Amino acid sequence: MASSCYSRRVGSGFERSNAGRSRTHDSSNRRGVRGIRILANPATDFSMERHSEILVRLLAAFVLVLTSHTAALGAEELPTFFRGLNLNGPSVHIDGNVWDGSNSKQYVCKDNSFENQAVTLIPPTDPERATMIRSSRYGGNRVELNEVLPGEYTVFLYVWEDNNAETYSVFINGQQVTANHNSGVTGHWDRLGPWYTKATKDQKIVVTSQGGTANFSGVEVWKGKYDGFNTSISDEELAFFEKRIRPLLANKCYECHSADSKELQGELLVDSRATLRRGGAKGPAVIPSDVEHSLLIKAVRYDDSDMQMPPDEKLSEAEISDLEEWIRMGAPDPRSHATKHFGKQIDIAAAREFWSLKPISNPQVPQVRDTAWPATDIDRFILAEQESKNLSPAPDADKRVLIRRLTYDLIGLPPAPEEVASFLADESSDAFAHVVDRLLDSPRYGERWGRHWLDVVRYADTAGDNSDYPIPQIHRYRDWVIAAFNRDLPYDEFVRDQIAGDLLGGATEVERQQRIVATGYIANSRRFGSRVDDYPQHLTIEDTIDNLGRCFLGMTLSCARCHDHKFDPITNRDYYGLYGIFASTRYPWPGIELDKQQRDFVPLVSADQQNELTQAATAHQKEQSRLDQEVTDLQATLKKAGDAEKENVKQKLKEAEKLADKHRRQPPLFETAYAVADADNHQDAAVQLKGDPAHTGDIVPRHFLTVFGGQELPADCNNSGRLQLADWILSDDNPLPARVMANRIWQHHFGQGLVPTPNDFGKQGKRPTNPALLDYLATQFRSGGWSIKSMHRLIILSRTWQQSSVRQPQAITEDPSNDTLTGFPRLRLDAESIRDSMLALGGNLDLSPAGPHPFPEQHTWDFTQHKPFKAVYDTNRRSVYLMTQRIQRHPFLAIFDGADPSTSTAARLNSTTPLQALYLLNDQFVHEQSRLVAERILAHSDENNVRLNFAYELLFARPAAGEEVTVGQKFLIDAAALLKNTGLSDEQSAQESWQACVRSLFRLNEFVYLD
Amino acid sequence: MPTPFPFRRREILRSLVGGSLLMPGLLSELLADSQGKNEADPLSPKEPHFPAKAKRVIFVFSNGGVSHMDTFDYKPELFKADGKKTGSGGGLSNQQRVLLKPLWEFKPGGKCGTLVSDLFPNLRECMDDICVIKSMNGNDNEHYNATLGMHTGSFFFSRPSIGSWVSYGLGTVNQNLPSFIALSPQMPYAGTQIFNNDFLPAYHQGVRVIGGKEPIADLARRTPQAGLQELELGLADVLNNRHLQARDGDTNLSARIRSFETAFHMQADAPEAFDVAQESKETLAMYGLEPGKSEGFGWQCLVARRLAERGVRFIELVDGSSSNNWDQHGNMAEHADHAKGIDKPLAGLLTDLKNRGMLDDTLVVWTTEFGRTPGVDGEKGRGHHSACFSSWLAGAGVKGGMTYGSTDEIGATVAEDGVHVHDFHATILHLLGIDHTRLTYRHAGRDYRLTDVHGRVVKACIRS
Repeated sequence: MASSCYSRRVGSGFERSNAGRSRTHDSSNRRGVRGIRILANPATDFSMERHSEILVRLLAAFVLVLTSHTAALGAEELPTFFRGLNLNGPSVHIDGNVWDGSNSKQYVCKDNSFENQAVTLIPPTDPERATMIRSSRYGGNRVELNEVLPGEYTVFLYVWEDNNAETYSVFINGQQVTANHNSGVTGHWDRLGPWYTKATKDQKIVVTSQGGTANFSGVEVWKGKYDGFNTSISDEELAFFEKRIRPLLANKCYECHSADSKELQGELLVDSRATLRRGGAKGPAVIPSDVEHSLLIKAVRYDDSDMQMPPDEKLSEAEISDLEEWIRMGAPDPRSHATKHFGKQIDIAAAREFWSLKPISNPQVPQVRDTAWPATDIDRFILAEQESKNLSPAPDADKRVLIRRLTYDLIGLPPAPEEVASFLADESSDAFAHVVDRLLDSPRYGERWGRHWLDVVRYADTAGDNSDYPIPQIHRYRDWVIAAFNRDLPYDEFVRDQIAGDLLGGATEVERQQRIVATGYIANSRRFGSRVDDYPQHLTIEDTIDNLGRCFLGMTLSCARCHDHKFDPITNRDYYGLYGIFASTRYPWPGIELDKQQRDFVPLVSADQQNELTQAATAHQKEQSRLDQEVTDLQATLKKAGDAEKENVKQKLKEAEKLADKHRRQPPLFETAYAVADADNHQDAAVQLKGDPAHTGDIVPRHFLTVFGGQELPADCNNSGRLQLADWILSDDNPLPARVMANRIWQHHFGQGLVPTPNDFGKQGKRPTNPALLDYLATQFRSGGWSIKSMHRLIILSRTWQQSSVRQPQAITEDPSNDTLTGFPRLRLDAESIRDSMLALGGNLDLSPAGPHPFPEQHTWDFTQHKPFKAVYDTNRRSVYLMTQRIQRHPFLAIFDGADPSTSTAARLNSTTPLQALYLLNDQFVHEQSRLVAERILAHSDENNVRLNFAYELLFARPAAGEEVTVGQKFLIDAAALLKNTGLSDEQSAQESWQACVRSLFRLNEFVYLD
Repeated sequence: MPTPFPFRRREILRSLVGGSLLMPGLLSELLADSQGKNEADPLSPKEPHFPAKAKRVIFVFSNGGVSHMDTFDYKPELFKADGKKTGSGGGLSNQQRVLLKPLWEFKPGGKCGTLVSDLFPNLRECMDDICVIKSMNGNDNEHYNATLGMHTGSFFFSRPSIGSWVSYGLGTVNQNLPSFIALSPQMPYAGTQIFNNDFLPAYHQGVRVIGGKEPIADLARRTPQAGLQELELGLADVLNNRHLQARDGDTNLSARIRSFETAFHMQADAPEAFDVAQESKETLAMYGLEPGKSEGFGWQCLVARRLAERGVRFIELVDGSSSNNWDQHGNMAEHADHAKGIDKPLAGLLTDLKNRGMLDDTLVVWTTEFGRTPGVDGEKGRGHHSACFSSWLAGAGVKGGMTYGSTDEIGATVAEDGVHVHDFHATILHLLGIDHTRLTYRHAGRDYRLTDVHGRVVKACIRS
C-alpha cells in the first residue's frame, strides 16, 4: 500500500510542479523562494512510518530539484513545534504540545497580569486552552522571546477580550502584521496568525501591539512555515486527495485561484489547506464534513447563477461527486503551507515587447530617394517617413525667421537687431552653428531650458499644505537646475544627483553641498493638510513616486498605489517596493499650521564644522527659549503686580521683549537647503491595501520595478536605497530614461514630442510618430555622454528643424497634425517668453542673480488655513524667477497657461482666451513696457518710417514691409490726431501714438508666434 | 450698449487700408462679418448627454461649516438632551461627549411644511421650491480639504472645479462673458484652487469677481480714450489678417484674432452685467440691497441673476471667507450674524428667479463644506462634522417641498439615504443633462471624472 502510494504521489507531484514551473518560471526565480509544496502533516503523529514516508517524499522532491533546470527551487523544511508560552500561568498542554509557563526564562514581558476565569469564551474551547486564554498580560504589550536560533518561524498570538472591544495593530519584530484588529465582545478570543518571520540578529522574536489595550494570553511559535491547521490525515485520505482532488483542483481551478494565477479571481486561493478553508470574498470555500454549506460544491454544481465554476465548462458528475466525497471525509488536505497571491504576475518577456520597454535599438539610417535634401541623419529618418507617404519637406526658412526661432528656442528671448544683422552678414557655411554656440554659452540658456525641467518636477516656492508655507531655501534647487543646464551636466549625473546627491559626497566641498541641494527634487514633493500627528506622509511619498515615474521613466507609477496598474506592467508590490525607499528618507518639514517651525533642513556646512555649528544652533535656541520664558514670566508678574510696582515691571518687560526679539532676529548661523537625507530607520514598507495606510498587508522588500528585473537592495545595505534606485533607473537595461529625455528635448525644439505624451510612455500614452528616429536620438544621447547641449546641436543643425513653417498644400491636407514634420510647426510663445520679451524690449529686464524671494521673516510666520500665505512679488527679473505658489496660481502665469505647480506639467497648453486678450489690452505691465519700448523707438530716429522699421526689427526680427509702413504711418497720424483732440501737445501726441502703436504690435500674432 | 465695435471697426479699417488700395484682397476679407466664425470654439454650446432640466447653475457656498441641527435638520431629541453626556463614536470624538441643544426654534415653512429654524425666516417661505438633503456627508473634517472636496470631488489633490467641468461639458451661450464666474469678494478656504480648471483647458477657468470698480482683472479699458483703443485694435486687425493670409488661415491664429474682439466686448458687457444700478427699488429690496450699494451677499445674489440672464453657465457665490465665516467653535450664537447675511438675499434670489420664469431652468444649489457636531466645542460652540450635514437644491428639475435622507436622533450620523459629496455632484450634473460617468477628460494617462469612481444620482430629488 505504502509503496504504490509513494510512486503515485511522486508522479503526481512531478506533473504538478512541472506544470507550475513552465507557467511561472520567471516569477519563481524572481521571488527565489517558491518551492515544491511538500506534502506533510506537521503537527502530530510522528510515527516511524509517517516519518519515513515524509523522508521518501522529501527525497523525491530532492530528486526533482536536482533534475529540474530551475535554479531557485528548494525543498521546504517541514514546520515543527518550537515553543509555546502561557504568558500568565503555569506550563500547559495545547494541541498536544507542551507550553512553557510564565516562569520561563526564555522571554521578557513586563506587562501587567490579569485573570478572569469567570468569563465565558466565545467560541468555546477545551478547558486547558480556555484557562490559558483567560489569564493574560496587558499594559506595555510587548513580549520578547529569547534564544531563538536563526531561521524562519511561524508565530501565533492568543488574544482575548474581557470587557469592551479594543482595536489594535500587532507587530512582529517591528513590522506590522495585523492592522486594526478588533478584539470583539466580552469573552471573544482569537488565535491570530500565522505570521511568518525570522529571528532577529540578537536571536529574538518580539511581539508588540499599538493602539487600544490588547490582552496577550499566549504565544505559539513554529519553526518553518506552518498554516496552523492541526489535522491528521490517514494514508487512505492522502491517497484519495493526491489521486482525485489535487489533480482536479490543479487542472480546473489553479489557473484563476492559485498563488501562480496571473490575476487572482474572487480573492480565493484553492492551492493550500488554509486558504481553501478561509475562502475568498464570499466566505469559506470548504467546510470540512459539511457538503451543503461548502461554497466550492455550490459553485461546481452550478446551483447559483452568479457563481458557476469552472466558468467554461461544468465538471463531470464523477468529478463533482469526488469533491463531495472528499468534503464528507473531512476535506483531508496535506497542503500545510498557506499560500499567498502576490498580485499581478508580470510576464516580463511579454511586457518588454511593448515598444517603450524594448531595448533601444540603434536603427540603421534609412535610404531616401531625394538624397540632396538631407543634411543630417535626422533628416534621413524624417524624409524617409515623408517619402513613404508621398510627402515632401517645406523649403528652408529664411535667415531672419531662423534666428528669431532659434533665439527664443534656446534662451527664450528675442534676438537683438544687431545679432540679426551680424548673422545676416555672416555668409560662412557655419554661420548658423556659430549662433547656436553663442546662445548655448549664454547664461540665459539655463534659465530657459531649466524652466522646462522645473515644469516637469512641478517646482514651487511653497509647500502646498493647507496654509501653503513658504520655503525660502528652495530657490537653491531652482538655481541648481539652471546652473546644471548651463554647465551641461551629463543627464545621468543630473538624475543621480537629484535622487541621491546627498549620498554621493563630492570631490570638493562645493560639489558635495551642490549635490545636497539637488535632492531638493525630492524635498519639493507636495505637503498636505494642517495636521501634525496624523500628517499624511503617504500622500507626500505618493507625490514623490508619481513625479519620479513621470519625470525619469515616463511611467504612471502612482496608478499602482491602490491596485496593480491596470494597463502597464507595474504591480502594487512594485509601488511599495519604491515606497519603502522614500519611507526610509527624511523629508524636511517646511512648517504647517499646527507646527510652524522649519526642521530637518540640511545644513550647508562642511563636515568638520557641522558639529560645532549644530551645537551653536542648539545653544542659540536654548538662549531664545530662556529669553522668551523671561518675557512670559514678566507678563505673569505684571498681571499680579500692585499699582506701585506696575511701571517698573512694565519697563522690565519692555526690555526683555526687546532682547528676545533682537535675539530672534539674528541671522541664522548657517545656510540650509530644502533637501532630503536618509532617515534614522531604513526599512521596507508594507503594502497599503487600496492605498489606505491604516490597512496594511505584506511587507515588501525595497526593490525596483519587476519589469526591469526587480532588483533588491544588497543584504548589507545600510541606507534608504536611493543611491541604488538611481543606479537601477539609469542601468543600461532600462531604455526609458534615454528615450524619455531625448523625447523631451525634441519636444521643446518642435513644440511636440515624437511621443506626444512626454510623461506617459505606457499603454495609455501615445505611440511615437517616428519610433526609429526616437531610438536614434536615444542612442546618440547615451553614446554622447548624456550631453543635452550636444542633442540641441544635433537637432537644430538638421534641415528638418530649419524648414519654413509654411507647408505645401498637399502636406497640409494629408498630414493635418504635421506628424511627419513637412514644415516647422508654428509655435506660440509660452508665458515666460511673452513677459520676458516685453521686459527685454523695454530695456528693463533685470539679469542680476536672483537669489531668494522677499518672503516675510520666518519668526513672523503665522499662516493657517484661515489665513494662508499668499503673495505676489513684483520683479523685473526673468519669469523663471517669479515666486510661484503651490496652491495659488501666479496671476500672469495662470492666464497664459503657465506650468501647474501642483502636478507635473509635461507640455504647456496653448489656450486662447479673452482673459489673455484683456491682459494685453489693459494690464498696467503691458502699458508700461509699451511706453519704454516707444521711448527706445522714438530715440532711434526722427522719421516714422525708420522708426516703424526699427519697431519691426525689435519685435519681429525683420524690417516692415512697404504696406506695413504705410498702414503704420496712417495709424500714427490718426492716433496723434485723436490724442491731440483730447488736448495733448504735438510732442505728447506723437509719443503716446507710438505707445499705442507698440501696444498694438505686442498684441499681434506675429509677436507671440514663431514661424 | 456702448458703440458696437463692428461698426467702428469697419470705419477704422477703411481709414487704415481702404484709401491706399494696398491690400485689396485683405480688405474685403476684413470687412466681412467676423461673427459666426466659431468653428471648433471650445466654449461654443454643446449638447448634453440627455435632455437637461437645468440650463445653468447658481452654486452658493457658505464657508466655515454650517450647523445642520441649527438650520435645516430638526432634532427634537437634541433639545431634550442638552448637557447630557454621550459616548464617543458615530462621528463624535471623545472631546465632544456633552451635547449642546440648538439655539433656535424650528417652524414649518411653505405649504409643504418643511421645518426650518428661525435662522432663516425668509428662506423658510421658499421651502415649496426647495429640496433639503439632510444626509450629506464627506471625507474630511478640515475646512481646506472639505472645501476642496465639495468643489472638485478630491479632498487632497488639485482637480478641476465643478464649474470648470460644467463649462467643459456644456460650453456657454454668451461668448462675451466667461462661462464660469465665481463671485467671491473674499478668498475661501483652499483659495483659487476651488475655481480652477486644473488640467482642463484654461477656457474653463473660473473667473473670480471681487466686485467694486474692476470686478475682473484688466477689464477696465486703460487707454483713456475709447477711440484710441479701437484704433489700436484696428491696426492689429489689419496686420494680423495680413499675417494670417500668408499662413493658410491657421485656425489658431484666427481664434486669437477673435479673442481680442471678445475681450473688447467684455470690457463693455461685463461691467454692465455687474452693475445693479439699473435694477428697480423693489428688486433691490427683495435682495435686501440698499440702493447705491454694490457689495455684500445681496449684491452677489442679484448679480448672479443678471449673469444667469446673460447666459453664464455656472455662477458660484462664495459666502464669507476663510477667516470670517460660519466656523463657530466657541459660540454658536454667532451663527445668527452669518444667517442674517444670506437669508434675505437667497430668498430674494429664488423669488426673483421665479417671478421671471427663470427658476424653471436655473438650478440653485446651497451647500457648505461640512456640518457641526451635536456635542459642544469650546464654551458654547460646535466642532467640525463631515459625517453628516445639510444642503439644498432648488429650481430646474428639483422636486421642491421635500426633504431627503435623515440623520440619527442627535444629528451625529446619517440614518438613511446618505448623500456623499460625489452623489451630490452626480445629481447636479444629471440635472444639467450630463451623465457623470461619461463626462471625462484624458489627463496623464487616464480618464478623470468629477466623481472619480463614485457618485449616485439622487433621483428622488428630481422631478420626473
